[in-house]
Amino acid sequence: MAKVVVEHLTKHFGDVVAVDDLTLEIVDREFLTLLGPSGCGKTTTLNIIAGLEDPTNGRVFFDDDDVTNVPPERRDIAMVFQTYALYPHMRVYDNIAFGLRMRRTPADEIERLVGEAAKAMEIDHLLKRKPRELSGGQRQRVALARAIVRNAHVFLLDEPLSNLDAKLRVTMRTELKRLHAELEKTFVYVTHDQAESLIMSDRIVVLNEGKLQQLGTPEEIYNQPANVFIAGFVGSPPMNFFDGQLQNGGGAHWLVKGEGYTCEFTPAPTQRLIANASADLQLGVRPEDIEVLPSESPTAQATVVVREPLGSDLFLTLELEGVTFKARTHPDARMDRGDCVPILFKSTKVHLFDKTTGVTLLEPKQ
Amino acid sequence: MNREIAKRIILYALVVLATLYIVTPYMWVVMISFMQEREATQLHWIPREPTLENYTMYFRVHGDSAEIGAATARQFPRAIANSLIIGSSVMFINLFFGSLAAYALARMNFGGNLALLLFYLGSRSVPGVAIMIPMYLVMRSYGLLDTHIAVILAHVTFTLPFTIWILKGYFQTVPLDLERAARVDGCSRLGALFRIFLPVTTPGMIAVGIFSFISSWGEFFFALLFTSTISSKPVTVVASDFAQEIQIDFTIIAAGGVLVVLLPIILAFIFQRFIIHGIGGAVTG
Repeated sequence: MAKVVVEHLTKHFGDVVAVDDLTLEIVDREFLTLLGPSGCGKTTTLNIIAGLEDPTNGRVFFDDDDVTNVPPERRDIAMVFQTYALYPHMRVYDNIAFGLRMRRTPADEIERLVGEAAKAMEIDHLLKRKPRELSGGQRQRVALARAIVRNAHVFLLDEPLSNLDAKLRVTMRTELKRLHAELEKTFVYVTHDQAESLIMSDRIVVLNEGKLQQLGTPEEIYNQPANVFIAGFVGSPPMNFFDGQLQNGGGAHWLVKGEGYTCEFTPAPTQRLIANASADLQLGVRPEDIEVLPSESPTAQATVVVREPLGSDLFLTLELEGVTFKARTHPDARMDRGDCVPILFKSTKVHLFDKTTGVTLLEPKQ
Repeated sequence: MNREIAKRIILYALVVLATLYIVTPYMWVVMISFMQEREATQLHWIPREPTLENYTMYFRVHGDSAEIGAATARQFPRAIANSLIIGSSVMFINLFFGSLAAYALARMNFGGNLALLLFYLGSRSVPGVAIMIPMYLVMRSYGLLDTHIAVILAHVTFTLPFTIWILKGYFQTVPLDLERAARVDGCSRLGALFRIFLPVTTPGMIAVGIFSFISSWGEFFFALLFTSTISSKPVTVVASDFAQEIQIDFTIIAAGGVLVVLLPIILAFIFQRFIIHGIGGAVTG
């Protein structure tokens, strides 16, 4: 059992607030990702959970034990660092064995455990090498072996894939997911790569400027972003935004109208939305929710600015009244630069955000 | 292309000149040390009748030779021992206090951090002559004159700031994650320092260790000031005693000079890899 709870966590570095009143409950055996741009406080949060930094305020609990003042060596954690942090003066074997030796594990037991961990990470042929003789991918595996060998209950991973090349990163994502499934431990994973977080996590915590933005499953984060920041940060290419206003087109017929476009909005907005949307709002549409097809009542007519074929998909950069945005369409579509094409925003897939606060006007999943 | 070649030629010419400038006087001393006395004043390079006599003289401890300089030469083995004691002590004090101070300055953010560093640096810019008298008085009042301790303390005052500066810079190249990994693996802060940090920084430590040893070994001024008998005189001071004798035999002085410089040169050769890495290098994880 290892549930991790942080309560009202705050961390100041001088005048900078790195983490601002963060409260989280990480369920036992969950794969939870802290996602956010550089400087959002995700690594600081991880370091506080590890005990490597002291919080300015707030508490950390492992299960029901308050570990806020427990030093890292006495918390039941394993950690993988962005730089791998292998001990350069030790061989791979000793790197993996180090944690066990510190815990006075008997020598034959160490040998067995190191052998098992090395085998699991497929590095058993590298045990006699020094870290500098390994490739980036091999170092990563050694770092993972060093983490799994101790059988800790909480695994903390700080951007472990960011130093790998694109191809290896894809392989290691799968590997990490497999590892999580096999080990059945609690994983707390830090990344700035939204795709990585969507692929790997059970739940995602989105942080910005030290504050919690949203906590939810990858689907919730992607489909029901709580604010403009999340909507723009998660998804690649990111969501498109248009200024507009909510209007009643008669009866249950609702429209979002902006410069050069009129978008139907279904289902009918809630009372809360109607009450809040009298002012200007922002309409958000993901590239895959824009259809570039002749239709009876298109949302707008837009001009193709750039055509980006990607094999399986075709991305078009379009322009509408001075606003450029992206749409994903079928690779066979024959539009090209300069064409004027009809576009349709899928009426059930659009997002509405308050123009000033950026908060969603739909029902967010918190 | 021609420009490149010309650049290279000029560069190498300058390197050769600089090397000659540094090495020539020393080579001359080496050559003289193998000459007979009368040959030394004739200003030529290669000894015509090479001899080891000038060297053997230094190690005939119980010899009763009445040759010029012999009395001083007989003090040499003891002086070398003194220099070794002083130099090694200076080295260990530098390594111990220097590494702890540099670690704190490199890793911990405390008030006055920068001021302290600048103070260390500033202390190096004070000329020895300026503090000569106060230091002498302090040593005298503590009864430390003519002891190893006096010389050791004096040498530490000017080597330690340098050690701290170099080590601080070197320590900062050690990734913080290494210690953090050690903490997570079960080390206390001190444990991480001794098991991971210091072993990783060995090249830097060896470099400053050798530097402080060599600085102490070659120092003359404070050693002359604080020592008066062979019980504490290091080689540099004993070597200068030749100049006090009525008539000076240059060949014996030259042999003495070679003996004095031999140890630092050997050390520098053995540890050159560490010295280069330690001063200019960085640790990668």
